[in-house]
Amino acid sequence: MFDFLIHVTILACLYSLVALSLNLQSGFGGLMNFGQIALFGCGTYGAGIAYKYDLGFASGIVIAAGFAVCVGWAFAAIGRNLQEDYWGMATLALAEVIRIIVNNEGWFTGGAQGISAVSPLFPSLAGRMQQVAILWSCVAFLAVAYFLCRWLTDGRYGLGLKVSREEPQLALSLGYDVAALRRECMILSGLVAASAGFVFAHYISFVAPEQLVSSETFLIWAMVIIGGIGNHRGAIVGAFLLQFIFSFIPFFKDLVGLPTEFVAAARLAMIGGGLIAFMLWRQSGLVPERIGGTKLA
Amino acid sequence: MVQFVVDVLMRASDLVLIAVGMSAIYSLMKFPNIAVAQYAASGAFIALVLQKGGIPIVVAAIIAVLCVGIAAVALNELLFNRMLKISSSTAMIGSLAVSMLASAVFLLAIGPNPTRFSLPITRPFRVLGARMTENQLTSLSITTAAILCFALLLFRTDLGRCMRATATNRLLAEATGIDTRRTRNAVVLISGMLAALGGICLTLKGEINIQTGLDLLLPVFSAAILGGLGNPLGAAAGAIVIALAETLITGINFGPAFGRELLFMPAAYATAGSFVLLVVTLIWRPRGLFVSEVKRV
Repeated sequence: MFDFLIHVTILACLYSLVALSLNLQSGFGGLMNFGQIALFGCGTYGAGIAYKYDLGFASGIVIAAGFAVCVGWAFAAIGRNLQEDYWGMATLALAEVIRIIVNNEGWFTGGAQGISAVSPLFPSLAGRMQQVAILWSCVAFLAVAYFLCRWLTDGRYGLGLKVSREEPQLALSLGYDVAALRRECMILSGLVAASAGFVFAHYISFVAPEQLVSSETFLIWAMVIIGGIGNHRGAIVGAFLLQFIFSFIPFFKDLVGLPTEFVAAARLAMIGGGLIAFMLWRQSGLVPERIGGTKLA
Repeated sequence: MVQFVVDVLMRASDLVLIAVGMSAIYSLMKFPNIAVAQYAASGAFIALVLQKGGIPIVVAAIIAVLCVGIAAVALNELLFNRMLKISSSTAMIGSLAVSMLASAVFLLAIGPNPTRFSLPITRPFRVLGARMTENQLTSLSITTAAILCFALLLFRTDLGRCMRATATNRLLAEATGIDTRRTRNAVVLISGMLAALGGICLTLKGEINIQTGLDLLLPVFSAAILGGLGNPLGAAAGAIVIALAETLITGINFGPAFGRELLFMPAAYATAGSFVLLVVTLIWRPRGLFVSEVKRV
């Protein structure tokens, strides 16, 4: 049970990173990205490809970052003159295209079989020690990312981003380069999501296109909206909450004696129901956005 | 060549009713309703369940179409109208949440395996050298008839005039005494029914599983965008373009261009083709091909 809790916490930390990244885009930049999972996939495939071609850990980081910058830039580029809901569909489509390409170009990406046996993170440690080491490094990683995001959004850059979210025309007239702000936002948050993917790939030592299906993006959206859009702590709270609830659904199923389909259905229903409930009755989520020094009601 | 035309028509008829429904809803509600693809799947599933219960297929289809239409209106009144007051992207995420809930219901009620109508199996026959089955022909004729009816309704009746007036300028329509709320509900009802009919026609030709709705989402959306969202008959043209693109991608021999005898794209790229077309259209003509409206950013 203890090992299981460690495992769930590690996953929750990694999901928190992806949620932080989406929150930076949607909560602060107002960018409705429905292709978030592709940015995560940049990280997993950076790790996977570096392993497959025996390039080593460091070059994996470089490849992952390279992918993330390219994909983030591409997302921002197609969004230049689109309305936000159109851009949402465009990112969803682009993420699917990326997944289909990864799935079919087996010579490069391992295809639908994926890349297995990616080297673990701390090969010298054994058993539980390794798990604990991974846990602490993930927690530390999350803390670093959290403070980095706060530093970004508390400063001038964050203010510019918020102005361009609320009043793009005003931001333009104040001399902000809105397109550049959004591009930087996509690339920076892409790097955060890709780093989570990179660690994820080394942690579960398996990379496959099925990890990149668009329903994962919707899960991350649910985390951000339930936790509180526009607040970094909210994203982390939402990610931990959903990840823990999801991990205990199978136990509940066994306890009550429900069929196996129940687990998947309950996940879907919770994502959907949670999104609807929070959007109707608690727009600001569990941890509301802070504006100025006061909480937004 | 005839076979090619038949293939394109068949694929287009998969998409066209759902795309028309999505586009019609957009024209009045002004947000991309992702759940329309799930309305289609619900229609097919309800008809399937009713047919299993011993009801003749035609009656089952009519009941299913009505149920989905009413459900679409109910969802609109209870959820989407309230979310639209916040923003159109909130409503879009809301429709996403609805489609995830629908997936959960399908999973519990139908199970993960694909199902089909129990119809007598007929030999395919040949029309000008192209192979067709009776079910395909039935499905194609129903689809064509539904589109024609919808076009007549839109351009030849009072309700259609009200619909077009409300879509073009809601305030002005209200000022001339049109009950815009009733018009909106009528459009949502009709669109829901069209989508459900689309789902049933799709299932007539083959089988359906719980993933079908989400798989349809992007091709249908591409078709609706190509036709200019909010221009329902444009969406019909869009569906043909998408079907053409998908069939061409998998049907053309790229061999000569690369100095090889045979080189075909993998079939999985058919859908990727339509997504790329969506992204390209959005970049090139953000408001679709058949719209000459002033661009909104």
